[in-house]
Amino acid sequence: MNKKKLRGYREFLYVLPFIILVLIFAYYPLYGWTYAFYDYKPPKPLSESLFVGFKWFHYMVDNEIKRKQLFQVLLNTFAVSGLSMLFSWFPMMFAVFLNEIKCEPYKKFVQTVTTLPNFISWVLVYSIAFCVFNSTGVVNSLLTDWGVIDKPVMFLQSSKHIWFKMWLWLTWKNAGWAAIMYIAAITGIDEELIDAAKVDGANRWKTIWHITIPSILPTYLVLLFLNMANFLSNGMEQFFVFQNSFNKDYIQVLDLYVYNLAMGGGGYSLATAIGVLKSLVSIVLLCVMNGISKLTRGEGFI
Amino acid sequence: MKAKKIVSLFAATAMVVGTLAGCGGAASPAPAADGTTPAADSNKPAAETPAADSGSDTATADAAGAGDLMEIEIYDAAANYQGLQTGWFEKVVKDRFNLDLNIIAPQVAGDAIYQTRTSSGNLGDIVLLDAVDFADCVKAGLIKDISADIGNYSNLAGFMDQIKVYNSGLEGNNGEIFGIPTQMMNSSPTSYSQDVIYSSPLLRWDYYSELGKPEIKDLDGLVDVLGQMQAAHPTNESGDPCYAVSLWPDWDGNDNMLGIANVVQLTTWYGEKIKDSAILKADGKTFTPITDKTATYYKMLKFLNKLYKAGLVDPDSGTQDWNAACAKMSAGQVNMFWYSWQVGFWNSQDRLNDGTAMIFVPVGDQNYYVDADPYYGSGRVFGVGSGVDDAKYKRIMDFLDWYASPEGLQFEHAGIEGFNYEVGADGKFTAINDNALMDNLPVPEEYGGAGYSDGNNQINEWIVSANSINPNTGETYAKDYWSSWKAATLTQMKKDWAERFGAAEPAEWMKKNNKLVISPNVTVPLGSDTADISVIRNQCNETLCDYSWKMIFAEDDASFDSMWDEMSATMDGTGFQDLYAFDCAKWQPQIDAKNALQ
Repeated sequence: MNKKKLRGYREFLYVLPFIILVLIFAYYPLYGWTYAFYDYKPPKPLSESLFVGFKWFHYMVDNEIKRKQLFQVLLNTFAVSGLSMLFSWFPMMFAVFLNEIKCEPYKKFVQTVTTLPNFISWVLVYSIAFCVFNSTGVVNSLLTDWGVIDKPVMFLQSSKHIWFKMWLWLTWKNAGWAAIMYIAAITGIDEELIDAAKVDGANRWKTIWHITIPSILPTYLVLLFLNMANFLSNGMEQFFVFQNSFNKDYIQVLDLYVYNLAMGGGGYSLATAIGVLKSLVSIVLLCVMNGISKLTRGEGFI
Repeated sequence: MKAKKIVSLFAATAMVVGTLAGCGGAASPAPAADGTTPAADSNKPAAETPAADSGSDTATADAAGAGDLMEIEIYDAAANYQGLQTGWFEKVVKDRFNLDLNIIAPQVAGDAIYQTRTSSGNLGDIVLLDAVDFADCVKAGLIKDISADIGNYSNLAGFMDQIKVYNSGLEGNNGEIFGIPTQMMNSSPTSYSQDVIYSSPLLRWDYYSELGKPEIKDLDGLVDVLGQMQAAHPTNESGDPCYAVSLWPDWDGNDNMLGIANVVQLTTWYGEKIKDSAILKADGKTFTPITDKTATYYKMLKFLNKLYKAGLVDPDSGTQDWNAACAKMSAGQVNMFWYSWQVGFWNSQDRLNDGTAMIFVPVGDQNYYVDADPYYGSGRVFGVGSGVDDAKYKRIMDFLDWYASPEGLQFEHAGIEGFNYEVGADGKFTAINDNALMDNLPVPEEYGGAGYSDGNNQINEWIVSANSINPNTGETYAKDYWSSWKAATLTQMKKDWAERFGAAEPAEWMKKNNKLVISPNVTVPLGSDTADISVIRNQCNETLCDYSWKMIFAEDDASFDSMWDEMSATMDGTGFQDLYAFDCAKWQPQIDAKNALQ
């Protein structure tokens, strides 16, 4: 009895560091939510700021124009997230096809080249984009030389297909990295299955279709559901560097909107209020996705 | 089994220790929102003093440099450089005061540093802030009261009138002195003593001469002339395309003005001045909202749109950054400048000699707004942080007094004797190595030998204006007005210009033809934004800038105007009317004070 208790304490000690970490990094920051309920403006400390209750939550939607703005921001967020969700099979298929390459050095080369951009920061990506696509950049110079256009096309300045362009940049940067998980899953497939299929006369396509894909589908689904729960956070760096006055209406996603509000002009309280709402909606989304997962796969992921 | 247990226990302990260490690191940058821990940071500067620097220099510190090497933090709203001052200016300061200057620059680190540092209770040992922020910080107890001591420092006391006027305007002030205004002058608050003004149309003189120096009546005439210039010179010497103007979006919404920074400056060509969301009309008395279609913001935006439609605007304007724009200016790809400092990127002595430099060309219907000499200061304020101890405080005051002394000012504005200038038999200065800054020339060995520009004073703000008179020479501190410099720069181009327009200098021409609206210099404290107003201001500014850029690149007048209307509606929806009312009330005291002087 006593021994059991002792063991309980000891095991609690094992897990304690992680509990402390979670408390500090996940729960302590929640204290910052209090800023949403005050008229906070530095250098005045929070303790001297005026308590205003739900004023800032109300402020977001108190007239037509602001509602329209918020709606546009949400639309952008959903469009960008929706697009990447729609194409979420892309890294998986990339991994599957990569796996089919039989020439080992070439395979390694492709994998390295596609993984590398993941380590380049968005700021550098934009510098590259600016060099390539500005009015005297490579693309415009080539097109002019070939006589395709007579006036430079302002690629970065147009808001046409901006969601799709953003998806392209994201894919260019992330596809190789995202494929790693699937490649690992593919290596985990039992060789015997494939051999058996071959004996049964399956060709390459059939092996992919009947063995490889079904085997990595669970990985795909878990990743997809986790992404869904993160539907509202599509990061801000990418959109921050690519934003300009011409495309901002369609590129401003929720995270960027919050940043522009708070850091751009000291609207800390309002930005916090939006952040709070975002977190709440994300929790709801996560629960919904978990429910769907339970329904479709028979098991949840939380 | 036992060994395993020990290992796991050890691992667990290590984790806890690691966590706690992580906690210490993580907790300190988190804003101490309750403001009860101002002392927490007071030992930080000492801990950060780099050991490497306390070597030989400490030993050679002369008598004036009291005691040990000390590092002071300067929170500097003007600096474009963050970190320790290096190079020749470091040497100058160290020799005299044995001080290391550690500059904290919100322009480099981002404005968020203002929030984190103010909430920690210690902004810096010396602070340099815009007046509105300074008043807030005085209220929050971050600035030290220096009234008891400032009288003992003769150079600072020389500006006591101005300092007193500034401080008496601080809210709830009973004669205490907290701040020292920047770039003060001892001339008069209503005069204008420079040769050029901050913003006016500056054109390539050789291109303009080729067209026969035509008279330009209005903005349409200017578009014409610029169009002819570009038609005659579509590319620069290396074959890159030239444009009439190249704009950049980085500065939008800065300096108490809503809107695109470049457009905002152009409004002064018609005597109007943007004060936040309001435009002060040329009469200097009435305000009109920035969204007013009859006011200059609309007019200048339309002018840029006209340039665009004529193919004269750099197509990268809306997406390039400041560095890219600078590169184009230096490469001669831009035919019109409008800031007086822009000529620094192009006008060299050689170009002035061969007539290819940029110079003011008047436009008939224009009427130029200019701020008078900064008698009461230029709008920023120096102060001492409330957290400094007595020893440090004394050292800081000694330094600030020297910073306002003739010797200090000569270093700040003219450079190093024998390197940047020579002293003649009559005691007057003659400039040498005038490309020192542009080409980063190495300074003499006794000043460390490094590049002049690298070691230049990174504080980038001065207590006394460069156009003040140096008692040692009877001329200004800035070389531009030395008689020797004037004689050296009287080029053929300058003579041609004077002959064409009948005046020796642009400002003289404006005064002569009654085209200069001088706005007197006053020092009136401005109210700071409430939390509501700062949100509205930010949203309105963003809307205004975004639409303005789109309007510059509008294909026709109809879409230009429909965008303008859409913009006004959106801004009204985000509370523009409240903002306008707030800004009018905010600036009215300043306007009253200005009008009282006229």
